Amino acid sequence: MSASGGFLLVLAIMLPAGGVLVAVATGGRIARLAALALLPCGLVLAVAIAALIRTGGVPLEYRVGGWAPPLGVALRADGLSAVMLLITAIVIAGIALFARDYFPADAPDETERRAPFVFWTLLMGLWGALNAVWLGADLFNLYVALELLTFGAVPLVSLDGKPDTLRAALRYLLFALIGSVLYLLGVGLIYGAAGTLDIAQLAAMPHTAPVFAIAAALMTAGLLAKTALFPLHLWLPPAHAGAPAAASALLSALVVKGSFILAVRLWFDALPGAMGPASAQLLGWLGAAAVVFGGAMALRQQRLKLLVAYSTVGQIGYLFFLFPLAFGAAASDPAAWRDLAWTGGIMQVVAHAAAKAAMFMAAGLIGEALGHDRIDGFGGLARALPVTVFAFGLAGMSLMGLPPSGGFVAKAMLLTASVAEAQWWWAVAILAGGLLAAGYLFRVLGPAMAAAAPGAPPVAEIPLRRQAVVLGLAVFALLLGLVPLRPSPLLDIGRATPPLVLAR
Amino acid sequence: MSGALLLAAIGVPLALLAGCASEAVRARAALWLPLAPLPGLAAALLAPDASVALPPALLGIRLSLDPSAAMLLGAASLLWALAGVYAAATLGARPDPGRFAPWWLLTLAGSLGVFMAADLVGFYLLFSAVSLAAYGLIVDDGTARARQVGLLYVVLAVLGEGFLLLAFVMLAQGAPHGSLVIRDVVAALPGSPWRTPALTLLILGFGVKLGMVPFHIWMPLTYRTAPAAAAAALSGAAVKAGVIGLLRFLPLGAALPDWGTALAAAGFFSAFWGVGAGLRQRDPRTVLAYSSISQMGVIAAVMGLALAAGDPGAGIAAALYGAHHTLVKGGLFLAVGLAATRRETRVGLFVLVPAAVIALGMAGLPLTGGALAKLAVKPVMDDGVAGLLGSLSSAGTAMLMLHFLARLVALPADAVRAMPRSARLPASLAWLGASALAVLVPWWLYLGVAGGSAAEALSAKALWSSLWPVLLGAALWLGLGRAGLMPPAREGDVVLRAFRRAALYGVLAGARLERADAALRRFAVALVALLAVALALAALSLGA
Amino acid sequence: MSAATLYGLLACALVGIGLYGLAVRPEPLRKVLAFNLLGGGVFLLFGVFARRGAGAGFAGDPVPQALVITGLVVSFAATALAIALVLRLRDETGDAALDAGDGKAE
Repeated sequence: MSASGGFLLVLAIMLPAGGVLVAVATGGRIARLAALALLPCGLVLAVAIAALIRTGGVPLEYRVGGWAPPLGVALRADGLSAVMLLITAIVIAGIALFARDYFPADAPDETERRAPFVFWTLLMGLWGALNAVWLGADLFNLYVALELLTFGAVPLVSLDGKPDTLRAALRYLLFALIGSVLYLLGVGLIYGAAGTLDIAQLAAMPHTAPVFAIAAALMTAGLLAKTALFPLHLWLPPAHAGAPAAASALLSALVVKGSFILAVRLWFDALPGAMGPASAQLLGWLGAAAVVFGGAMALRQQRLKLLVAYSTVGQIGYLFFLFPLAFGAAASDPAAWRDLAWTGGIMQVVAHAAAKAAMFMAAGLIGEALGHDRIDGFGGLARALPVTVFAFGLAGMSLMGLPPSGGFVAKAMLLTASVAEAQWWWAVAILAGGLLAAGYLFRVLGPAMAAAAPGAPPVAEIPLRRQAVVLGLAVFALLLGLVPLRPSPLLDIGRATPPLVLAR
Repeated sequence: MSGALLLAAIGVPLALLAGCASEAVRARAALWLPLAPLPGLAAALLAPDASVALPPALLGIRLSLDPSAAMLLGAASLLWALAGVYAAATLGARPDPGRFAPWWLLTLAGSLGVFMAADLVGFYLLFSAVSLAAYGLIVDDGTARARQVGLLYVVLAVLGEGFLLLAFVMLAQGAPHGSLVIRDVVAALPGSPWRTPALTLLILGFGVKLGMVPFHIWMPLTYRTAPAAAAAALSGAAVKAGVIGLLRFLPLGAALPDWGTALAAAGFFSAFWGVGAGLRQRDPRTVLAYSSISQMGVIAAVMGLALAAGDPGAGIAAALYGAHHTLVKGGLFLAVGLAATRRETRVGLFVLVPAAVIALGMAGLPLTGGALAKLAVKPVMDDGVAGLLGSLSSAGTAMLMLHFLARLVALPADAVRAMPRSARLPASLAWLGASALAVLVPWWLYLGVAGGSAAEALSAKALWSSLWPVLLGAALWLGLGRAGLMPPAREGDVVLRAFRRAALYGVLAGARLERADAALRRFAVALVALLAVALALAALSLGA
Repeated sequence: MSAATLYGLLACALVGIGLYGLAVRPEPLRKVLAFNLLGGGVFLLFGVFARRGAGAGFAGDPVPQALVITGLVVSFAATALAIALVLRLRDETGDAALDAGDGKAE
């Protein structure tokens, strides 16, 4: 509870928010400069917070204005927050470096300058909103952060202003808003029953009353809508495929994770035991359906960006194996396996963030170089853009779960937990998902490695610098494969109780 | 020193692979390809019982060799070197010689490394490397057909790896003190609660790699599609990742009669399936692929019998058998490559005569390496039924190899793909080297490492017992051929055709899937789904 | 019937109407309005809790009121954003159907 540490938490939200203010006030070029200047600060901040938590072994907390909950609002950073702050800073840095040339500052006329301005401003805005989601210690504050996230994400979808992307953005917004209302309804019920919304205070009180289960169910459903878990994925493919590559990377890698982590907080931190193992199983089954359905749909796509978007639908499914596995099927399961599932699930969040960001940016470069993203027209790509195709392949390794990669570590942990807890059905889904991923990724790599079709239009040059950024993120996803296959001590910090199945 | 050799066996190909990022190194790939496997050969010869552990930052991977692994490693390194000579000779004619080398080097590193991997993580890593990097070699010619074949190969390879990953997870659960060393986890396997699923998954996983029926369909397709040198390396060396897998992971020390018998039955089934289907193929490479299915079936059968009897000594016999197959099969693919790219109308005698010797050697032709390989596994297959099945499979192999030779002679010369004269000499030398080594190396291994005696190998009884299946096979092949009773030619087999049909249904199901997706993504439907999820979550939580 | 119960029932009715409108009306503008009804219902619910004073034992709990005010701001921002998108979509296409095309058209 050190004051200096708490100050860092405020900075993590206020720095990007300040960047937004500066950008709005000055407009144009400054937005880009402000965002690029924020990158090193944000990275250092995330590292500092993680280091403080790691060395201290306890979460950091900051009470805004010195007011104690339930009247005041607190920010809190535990191990999970630290990991999410770090991966957010890393992925956003990658995206910003990539977008430096994608959204240049010196467009000739005013309307063309608007998209870069919006992008750079919203990049900072989303960064602040994400950090607020990772650090929020109070369910209502988290609602506000979640809404900021949605409001930042929606305009990014329709940055090009075409009817299709406008429609996709509107669908995204409306469905996300319904999710928000459900979440808010749950918040109201919880406040009505408990008189507080502070996560730590909620965790400390008994919550076996039915109203908590109903509230948690409503909130979870709302969060699933924002995470686009199958069958609530209606908005994701057109939105993520239609956005510009840098924005898609941001949306797919980080934004959908915001609502997911919030669901995790709700189930494991705020109301442990309010939801029974049966509903955890339901989430797992929806995840399994997402893995299979998203993978199969990705296999059917003719356009690369849609393929990558459907791959996100599938990969999101893996995240939800965390619920049944970290809950445990039986109270007799040793906590070690549940901890492993916990680490594995968060590892999947992190690995997918890095790999998917790299993959969307690679898809963007490919689209730029070819002028289209139809997979059957990819002949000669590997020779024209070797670094990009290589990066795509490396990111794909992580999605397939091949060693050494973060995806492999996540998958191996989840598999181990599902075997150890005798919930073998998740293992089947995990392996089936890997198979489908191999199918859809090699469906891209095959044509890309083939020779160019005779008469194919020339491939535009892409500066090596931009390809290198994509490669950097893909290599990072690979290096995550060096994480040891055991429960992470960092992720354990601040988990008041290991997620036990409480008797209801 | 000896540990460094093990590291070099993987490290040198990987270093060359990293070097491929530079244009200068890539341009000289022809020089590196034959040299890259030599550290592996040195390790097999000089450090057959070395071991080394990497630091934890590198996943704590452990490498170690034992005599049977060293046998496989040595034979595989020799083949990779010879195939490398052949590949290097043919690279000059390509427009983009630099594209081939990275895939080759990564497959090579995995292929040699997997023989040395002594822990679960390292084994899985290297096994994945050899399996998946082979994709690049298979799709090398860039045609749409090659891509289809490559996709099928990758999906099956990932399926096999999925089986293995799950099996490894179970093995790790059963192991004492969380050890990930293969020897420890396998020692704990017979008493593990996960024994049944783990053994099933291990056999399935390695079965995919070994091309055991019904997981064999990738073999005939890929070996025909890949360039000759790559087909040689894949069919000879890379496939032995499955053999070392069975050697390392089956608990041979504990007698498990049920498991052993089941594996042996599956192995023999593959052995005869390969012969039956292979006799119907017209392309000599496809014939060779079916022969690989058959031979890997025999090795699986040997391992099954050893598991049933609890005979840990059988490992070295199976390794000897595998080492011989490495050199023969790899060599024969080089022979087909030479025949297919010849300038003359007829296939040269320098191709045909050695090919006949080593091909029939695989059936056990006396004095060849194959006869020794059969002699080595004889003690394992000694009991009545298994011994008879073994001899009959040898007769089948003799028929299949005669069929292969006939198809090789009938192979039309393709003027377009004719190999330039400058490439012809090194490529031919690689082939002749492989065929000579296929005869000589088993002798050396049999007498020097496996502890066999020349007197026994040359006794009349041994000679006759390996000769009669060859004679039987030859008689059958000639007799049936004359009488017109040979099965008519038909590409592929039942499983492959069934798979193609299933794939067709998959496409149809896919269209239905898209319609389902479109329906689910209508706003009203999704809203109802959202409310249903909320209700279901609440009901399940309240009901619990 | 106490005032709190009446408010609660009203809130439920608003939520129901809002959900119905969201599911059934295809026009985006109506969906936006339905969302506002839905949100209104939820805010009313917060009012009930404030009235009941579930918090620190006050007669009128200030926390839910603060929450409602924040919620109204958020919902206003959401409505503005949605309307902007609807207008832009109508400018581009002439109509603003949600399920048509669906991003699949090239």
